[in-house]
Amino acid sequence: MPELGRAALVAALGLILYAALVGGYAALRGRRRLLDSAINALLAACAATGVASLVLLAALAGRDFSFEYVAEGTSRELPTGYTLAAFWSGQAGSLLLWLLVLTAAGSAAVALNRRLVREVLPWTVPIVAAVATFFALLLVFVASPFATQAAPADGAGMNPSLQNPYMMIHPPMLYLGYVGLTIPFAFAMAALASRQTDERWIVATRRWTLAAWTFLGFGILLGAKWAYEEVGWGGWYAWDPVENAALMPWLVATAFLHSVFVQEKKNMLRVWNVVLVAGAFGLALFGTFLTRSGVINSIHSFTQSSIGPWFLGFIAVVAGASIALILVRLPLLRARTRLESLVSREAAFLYNNLFLVAFALTILWGVVYPLVSEALRGVAVTVGAPYYEFFAVVFGLPLVLLMGIGPLVAWRRASLRSLGLSLLWPAGVALAVGLVLLALGAGSSPVGLVGYTFAAFVLAAIVLEFVRGTRARHGLGGVGWVGALTGLIARNRRRYGGYVVHAAIVLLLVGAVGIGGFSTTREAKLAPGETMQVGDYRLVYEGSDQRRGANALELRARLAVFRDGESLGALSAGKNRYLAEGETSNEVGIRTDWLRAEDLFVIADQFNADGTVFLEVLVNPLVNLIWLAGLVFVGGSLIAMWPDAREQRRLAQRFADGGALARA
Amino acid sequence: MAKRRNPVRLVVALSVAAALAVFLLYTSFAGGATASLRPSQLAEHRGDEVSLAGRVVGPVTGDARGDGLRFTLRDIDGTATVPVVYTGSVPDLFKTGRHVYMKGELQSGTFVAEEDSLVTKCPSKYAPKES
Repeated sequence: MPELGRAALVAALGLILYAALVGGYAALRGRRRLLDSAINALLAACAATGVASLVLLAALAGRDFSFEYVAEGTSRELPTGYTLAAFWSGQAGSLLLWLLVLTAAGSAAVALNRRLVREVLPWTVPIVAAVATFFALLLVFVASPFATQAAPADGAGMNPSLQNPYMMIHPPMLYLGYVGLTIPFAFAMAALASRQTDERWIVATRRWTLAAWTFLGFGILLGAKWAYEEVGWGGWYAWDPVENAALMPWLVATAFLHSVFVQEKKNMLRVWNVVLVAGAFGLALFGTFLTRSGVINSIHSFTQSSIGPWFLGFIAVVAGASIALILVRLPLLRARTRLESLVSREAAFLYNNLFLVAFALTILWGVVYPLVSEALRGVAVTVGAPYYEFFAVVFGLPLVLLMGIGPLVAWRRASLRSLGLSLLWPAGVALAVGLVLLALGAGSSPVGLVGYTFAAFVLAAIVLEFVRGTRARHGLGGVGWVGALTGLIARNRRRYGGYVVHAAIVLLLVGAVGIGGFSTTREAKLAPGETMQVGDYRLVYEGSDQRRGANALELRARLAVFRDGESLGALSAGKNRYLAEGETSNEVGIRTDWLRAEDLFVIADQFNADGTVFLEVLVNPLVNLIWLAGLVFVGGSLIAMWPDAREQRRLAQRFADGGALARA
Repeated sequence: MAKRRNPVRLVVALSVAAALAVFLLYTSFAGGATASLRPSQLAEHRGDEVSLAGRVVGPVTGDARGDGLRFTLRDIDGTATVPVVYTGSVPDLFKTGRHVYMKGELQSGTFVAEEDSLVTKCPSKYAPKES
């Protein structure tokens, strides 16, 4: 079996190399049949990688400990779900997943745009293949998942903190996001290399970018949910380098998704867009590098590995090649239209981009500064959460404000007077909400109060847009209110899907401010029968017990929870002692009040010999809006992504006419 | 045809300037980052707030929720050590032999860690079961 896996990987490497070299030659010389052959090689490489993945999956399912990879990441007692998820819990498996998703997405993107790729953007094929070559080389020569050994009696088991349902899907989501960003990158670079710098590459990859961005964003939130439940310190995002690794490409991709509107509509920002797409891809590679290299002190750096230098080298090559290509093609990318006014939709998109990119860059600086400092000054340093939080507020609040204003500004040139009029309602709502919250005592966190006021402003602006649009459609007659609303959304999927995503960001903001600015913490050492009061909640410690779970000893403190004298039932929190792994893991107790979106969060930090327990208890208001935001976010993205026959016809018409924008 | 004056450039230039200003403002009042040291380097930073990284050496005694958890931290690749006293939450993976880091300062020969600042690095590989 391991031979089959190894052979499949070697075959994949060969096919990918063929696709890269022959594809490159075909693109250079305009040989279409050779290009077809390269495309077929890419498809075959995807199949070969699939075979290798199946071999690894079968070895995991059969707990075949003669595979080093299986023995290092699983054990006999590990539940089957986690055993299969061990596919991506280690380094070699993660790389294999990267390659699988990359060859699959690359093949699909090329196959679905076959005509465009063959006739206009032949360089797409060798560029996708070149990226894949790097991963295939690593898998064959540096980090093979198919290394074998004399099978030990049992495996070493899985890191207990990875034994969480969210951790099963969080990594693949991130990888789908990272890898997905390869597609717009490859098309953009192909457009430059092929001298076809019109926006066809954007149109062809719009849904790919959106999908990758959605996976990445959802993956980040799944990781936050995992951290909240499993790492269990009471927060949800810690500005850890590995968390930031995913946030940076997401922010840059967010900027890209907005700025393409300006290129499509006004044919501006063309250099900027290729820079953004290359930046997002570079940061995705950097993210994988950070996660997998253990170069930075981080709780999440699961591996201290040999692939670090390879990754840095590859990132340098990608960055160098992209910058060179962009510089060489700069004359082709010159805009022929200019920004007419600083008060216009395109200007609002520009501001949005600047804030997003500035935020991403400050995060990047915080992540690499420790390395730079160590290399240049010999002093290693750490950059803490206050740094990131400062910039999250400084750049985040204006971004939120822009989310409310941007959609209401006219393209080209808007008068401040008409803009003021259209903002009257949202501003009024925001002011009212702000005053009410102030009266309720939200002034304890000034930043939080400002955040909530801005959130109200954006929500009001979004609702206003929906109301106006629906009323206009209803006014045309023939449809009811519901029909008018669904028709509105169906006819402008990008726009209204975008608004739904904006609403999700507002929900995220409200939840994040709730837990960040208004949570309550109490600590107490309790003997059985003693109570503690946290916010509205009263907890009675009833005692502790221990039982044998599937693969761990489960120690739990039993608590009875009351609020306003009314019993809310039992809650338990404790620790799991994992047997095979010889590790302990905190298992926090969370009681969610769905109506208030509030969590009672109990950490049983320490069990003492005398029967007492040290509890850390938090009341996290509104935190569940963060998770709700994840679902709304995906919903909005799906609306924006949903296939639209009308749009297809419009685009086909535009390019068939050789319309004004088609050729640069 | 294209005029040299482009408002986009103006906006970009102004915002770069603004971002730099904000950045300088921040680093000037918050100091930005704390030094991250090994036990062998601590002596030069007596009394400064630093981040200390090293390997846990036993015995681990005391109560992290009482008068403090006491253990020794050793250079990850070296022999220099420093006694540590720590209060607050102890991460799941904390035990002898693990690589950890925490914030704090050196006070009369002992590294006094900030409350709740202890972080354990996830071990990269699990040693085979001891049995």
